[in-house]
Amino acid sequence: MSQRSERRGIHVDQSELLCKKGCGYYGNAAWQGLCSKCWREEYQRARQKQIQEDWELAEKLQREEDAAYASSHGSQSQPSLTAFSKFEEKKTNEKTRKVTTVKKFFSPSSRSTTKKEKERDEEREKERERERERGEKVQGRRESHGETLLRDLKGIFTHSWEIGSPTEESHEAKSHSPSFVRQSSVETDQVSREFVDFLKSLKPGREIHKQSRAFVESMGNKSDLGADELSECVQDFYQNMSDRLLTHFKGSSEKVERVMDQVEKYIMTRLYKSVFCPETTDDEKKDLTTQHRIRALHWVTIQMLCVPVDEEIPEAADSVVKAITDIIEMDSKRVPRDKLACITSCSKHIFNAIKVTKKEPASADDFLPTLIYIVLKANPPRLQSNIQYITRFCNPSRLMSGEDGYYFTNLCCAVAFIEKLDAHSLNLSVEDFERHMCGGGGGGGDVSPRRRSESLSPWPLELLSALQERQRQVLEEARDLQAELQRWQEGVAREVQDILDKYPLEIKRHAAHAIDSENDENDRLPPPLQPQVFAG
Amino acid sequence: MAAGGSTAHRTYSFKVVLLGEGCVGKTSLVLRYCENKFNDKHITTLQASFLTKKLNITGKRVNLAIWDTAGQERFHALGPIYYRDSNGAILVYDITDEDSFQKVKNWVKELRKMLGNEICLCIVGNKIDLEKERHVSVEEAEAYAESVGAKHYHTSAKLNKGIEELFLDLCKRMMETAQVEERSKGNGTSHASTGRRGVQIIDDEPQAAAAAGGCCSTG
Repeated sequence: MSQRSERRGIHVDQSELLCKKGCGYYGNAAWQGLCSKCWREEYQRARQKQIQEDWELAEKLQREEDAAYASSHGSQSQPSLTAFSKFEEKKTNEKTRKVTTVKKFFSPSSRSTTKKEKERDEEREKERERERERGEKVQGRRESHGETLLRDLKGIFTHSWEIGSPTEESHEAKSHSPSFVRQSSVETDQVSREFVDFLKSLKPGREIHKQSRAFVESMGNKSDLGADELSECVQDFYQNMSDRLLTHFKGSSEKVERVMDQVEKYIMTRLYKSVFCPETTDDEKKDLTTQHRIRALHWVTIQMLCVPVDEEIPEAADSVVKAITDIIEMDSKRVPRDKLACITSCSKHIFNAIKVTKKEPASADDFLPTLIYIVLKANPPRLQSNIQYITRFCNPSRLMSGEDGYYFTNLCCAVAFIEKLDAHSLNLSVEDFERHMCGGGGGGGDVSPRRRSESLSPWPLELLSALQERQRQVLEEARDLQAELQRWQEGVAREVQDILDKYPLEIKRHAAHAIDSENDENDRLPPPLQPQVFAG
Repeated sequence: MAAGGSTAHRTYSFKVVLLGEGCVGKTSLVLRYCENKFNDKHITTLQASFLTKKLNITGKRVNLAIWDTAGQERFHALGPIYYRDSNGAILVYDITDEDSFQKVKNWVKELRKMLGNEICLCIVGNKIDLEKERHVSVEEAEAYAESVGAKHYHTSAKLNKGIEELFLDLCKRMMETAQVEERSKGNGTSHASTGRRGVQIIDDEPQAAAAAGGCCSTG
């Protein structure tokens, strides 16, 4: 009989189709012959184990790295290690964070355990690959793995390093003062090349280049000066240079302006590191104060500021997002003029948003509140430092007159307004304002930007806590209901079982029996299929 | 006009701030002047807060940059950030609104205190098309303007009355002020252009200080 059924194919697969674990459900070749539930359990276990292993490996590497640093500190032979060591020396307190980053690096998809079953194949594939990689890495662990790790860590920390300790940069600038110009990044090199290319077409190009370079080098020795003195030096240089161009070389004012733009780009790209947010000022402290202030004001809504922008209109909402992006991007530029360009671009998007909403050109009455709103929503990094930097080192002709200057002035106004903002300026009562500030102070940190942007009319705290209480009740009741359902299900199952016991199934002695006899453990299941029916 | 000869081909650049309460018609005024349009559906400019106009007055080129300011009461304290380094100020009130005229008086006081007599002031009574509803008397306004060394104008953005004259007059006065200043400073330096750049740089220093004060002192 079994011979016959084997020929039929379906029956051969029958046993293979079932889960290997023998839980009674069907299995799948893609899940190594397990059913979805068993596979999930199995997979989770394997992942946990792997994460654990990765973690241990990372820690081991970390220890080796430290040891290597200790030994190579004197010789400074390995360039990559040296760079890392330098960083390490200053950031020892970051170690805890480092370990978590390492962990993240090794298990980039730890979230994926909750992914849909469909994606499992791919994941398995990835995992296998990772295993292969790991094998290789273990062989050349000191080199390849260490370096990847290093690169990764350096990449992660460069940013916070720049923000966190300007002291370090100026220290660097001081200690290498004669040559720090030369050891500058790819960006500065490129700017220099462009500058030279630009000057080639000009008669006094050589002279301009010589002077600019001499100026940058002389500034290298002056990094212990205060910010205002530095600003004066740069402004004097702009002044002298443009005077010379105007008088000695008889350039037209537009042409001089163009040359001055390039000069500004060249010298400020090079000086940026030593003069942006210098340690002699408290710019950094102000940055933090402003940042906290903006965070504490997360509850301010479009209505409170009377912003004439309707974010329901897709185009307006789009412009708002672009404006926010631009104002945040300002921090990434080095040249004051480029920073100004970001502010201008941000303003243009704001105007567009207003125009879309109001259908008429925006006046300052519309523009300033909107800009304030954008700044509150964006909370741009190092806002005060950037404003100071532009004020100190931008070519005055651009800042004083012209469109860019106007928008920059508005940004200064927006920041001043945010700092002084009180109940009166939002048309709120003093009590309301205080309550918002207190409420904001408590939970301000963890309000997501999305929530903030939606910020509907601010709900009183009592209402919120009442809602929370109700939610808790709902959850509790849901849990009760679930338990009850489970009990009911069990009850039904028991009853069915009782009935089955009382009236056991009589299986007629048919061909089906032959199949069932092969897997006795499935006796309690109803006969799976009736081959005869299909065979007709 | 003695200095005019030596700098015949040079261009003047002036910054003019526009002050006035909301709804007095500041925006309409500039849009009428720069685009010659009033409440027009076909206004092409995206914004009316910063507009420029190139003029040619008695053979001299003038670049005018008009800075609109937010007129709401809550932004009043930000005034100094806007009007520093400006050559002229246009203070607009609505002739049907007594309150807006009081605001103008406040601004005049502030401007004189901050910028002294170097700034040319224009007090503008807008909306003369609504003469029937006038609440600010002509005599009072003109007497006040004279008492603070300002000029008074009557305009209507809707009917396009008095606006050209206002700006032309202002430009001429700003040119005179600039020339007087140039002469007094020009004695030291030989080149007119140097003098001009010098003026700008001198302007820049208090500006930097003001920026520091305005933006950051009150944290």
